[in-house]
Amino acid sequence: MCRVCVYKTNSNLSFSFAGANDVSMIQMADVGVGICGQEGRQAVMASDFAMGQFCFLKRLLLVHGHWNYQRVGYLVLYNFYRNAVFVLMLFWYVLCAAFSTISAVTDWSSVFYSVIYTSVPTIVVGILDKDLSHKTLLCYPKLYGAGYRQESYNLHLFWITMLDTLWQSLVLFYVPLFTYRNSSIDIWSMGSLWTISVVVLVNVHLAMDIRRWVLITHVATWGSIFITYMCMVIIDSIPIFPNYWTIYHLATSRTYWLTILLTTILALLPRFFCKVIHQIFWPSDIQIAREAEILRKGSDQVGLKPDHDINGRV
Amino acid sequence: MNSSSGSAAGPSSGSGDGSAPRRNSKRPKYSKFTQQELPACKPILTPKWVISVFTLVGVIFVPIGIAALMASNNVVEIVDRYDTECIPANMTGDKVAYIQNDDIIKTCTRNLTVPKDMDQPIYVYYQLDNFYQNHRRYVKSRNDAQLKDADQANKTSGCDPEKTTKDGSPIVPCGLIAWSLFNDTYNFTLGNKNLSVNKNGISWKSDRDHKFGKDVYPKNFQNGTLRGGASLDLNKPLNAQEDLIVWMRTAALPTFRKLYGKIHQDLKANDIIMVTLENNYNTYSFNGKKKLVLSTSSWLGGKNDFLGIAYLTIGGLCFFLATAFTVVYLVKPRRRVLLCDTG
Repeated sequence: MCRVCVYKTNSNLSFSFAGANDVSMIQMADVGVGICGQEGRQAVMASDFAMGQFCFLKRLLLVHGHWNYQRVGYLVLYNFYRNAVFVLMLFWYVLCAAFSTISAVTDWSSVFYSVIYTSVPTIVVGILDKDLSHKTLLCYPKLYGAGYRQESYNLHLFWITMLDTLWQSLVLFYVPLFTYRNSSIDIWSMGSLWTISVVVLVNVHLAMDIRRWVLITHVATWGSIFITYMCMVIIDSIPIFPNYWTIYHLATSRTYWLTILLTTILALLPRFFCKVIHQIFWPSDIQIAREAEILRKGSDQVGLKPDHDINGRV
Repeated sequence: MNSSSGSAAGPSSGSGDGSAPRRNSKRPKYSKFTQQELPACKPILTPKWVISVFTLVGVIFVPIGIAALMASNNVVEIVDRYDTECIPANMTGDKVAYIQNDDIIKTCTRNLTVPKDMDQPIYVYYQLDNFYQNHRRYVKSRNDAQLKDADQANKTSGCDPEKTTKDGSPIVPCGLIAWSLFNDTYNFTLGNKNLSVNKNGISWKSDRDHKFGKDVYPKNFQNGTLRGGASLDLNKPLNAQEDLIVWMRTAALPTFRKLYGKIHQDLKANDIIMVTLENNYNTYSFNGKKKLVLSTSSWLGGKNDFLGIAYLTIGGLCFFLATAFTVVYLVKPRRRVLLCDTG
């Protein structure tokens, strides 16, 4: 019966049952939810989620399911972007170095990029970010439709993200290149500039998309940039490395700071512009619900009944 | 309210005939973090924010762009390509033979005209084009331990093919970077007075203090059959050989400049400077170019219009977008809707 249902609807299916004889059905489903109760805990052991009462199912789906989908969808796209922008930036440099696979970014910074410089904000956003409050989500079940319409992660969004990544990597590479063209800059200073530019850019990109800022989010995002600087100061203070003293040398140069600012703003400008255009002309249900939830104190429009979504669709 | 605040993962107490105290005893401890109710700021892109952001970027970028462009215009730069001009007329067909023939005198005289007043210090650079100092095998071809410490003179790993002489004694400094040291020299005269070029302090102080030893002397340098560039004074320690230190800071791009020296004298517009140079370095084998550059500097460095133009363009674009969005928001305002009273 479970397989027949999946073929007919072609969508994710979840079943939740209490009894021991429903274990196979829970295992067949894409998401199985078990109730632990007086009939034993076999359903709980076979399931992906377990809860105590049937009435929790509404909250599980509409609130936590929605948040989980939004977070995971966004983070998958963001992680593709974060890694691809760094690698593409290294790749463009290879074209300028007679294809000899040199990396201007030092080995330590390359390793630390994924581990220290840009990973903590990702984790914090993945745990704490919420687009809508649980009250709104429970009040308007139709908002759950964003999930099965695949609004948070789909092929179209993926390719748009990759296009944006390509643009950002080109800006990251070429702005310092044009700024320091025909000058006496050395390879390790250039690599240092690229490292800090990419870290600042990637974190500000994330900051533009965070929908709910708590103290931990601020500490993670801005703290990562600060930690990057600290790590680079430490690495550049060890005489055996070829990049010895580069950050101290660069930090006194006004061109260095202006280049970082220009790179960040220029790289994020198309993304910001597209975001604004989308929100003006094609707002999604979630966008509208968010605006109503956050701005409702200032609004004096007539209220809608719950259980219809904002555009009147049923 | 109470029953809906339990988290979904993990079972709470069983349903059925549990009485209220038994149900509450298994509830997880409430904390703002685990219930995700920390105080939060929820930014949203209202028209006010969008227009403010674009205007702010415009207001910051346009003055910076103007200042950068003015600084770049104030820098006076003389660039003179001399590698093609300094070949004698009868050897232009075979440049490589010319440069590799030690019997031909390589002295060349160039005249440079100063376009505008130049204030001291005037930086003298040599610029090389199409020279890939950033090639991977070239960048790795050095041994930093040997450069720093006289006891480690035998450490030549990584310096292939310029590691040791034919009989196995180590070359100090080893590696391709040191071997290809630039060896053109320049002398400047203004009228009949010699312009002295200060060649002290042209390298990074950190390099002189911590990367090149003060008791390491060159040994077996350029002793092989093929000379790559300049020879070194055997009586000067490495940390005093500033041309070598400058050269060993490998450049990032295939077109680069390196500091040759500084002139501490003002030059007036229309002065004619005579440059007597030795055209020793072989860039003809790989179609490289050699240029002599004299440049003043500003608070932004050398002559480069890019930052100024880029800042001005972005600033102008942002002002335009701010105006455009103001028009859009006036023409097509978004109707804000009050949801049901959710708390």
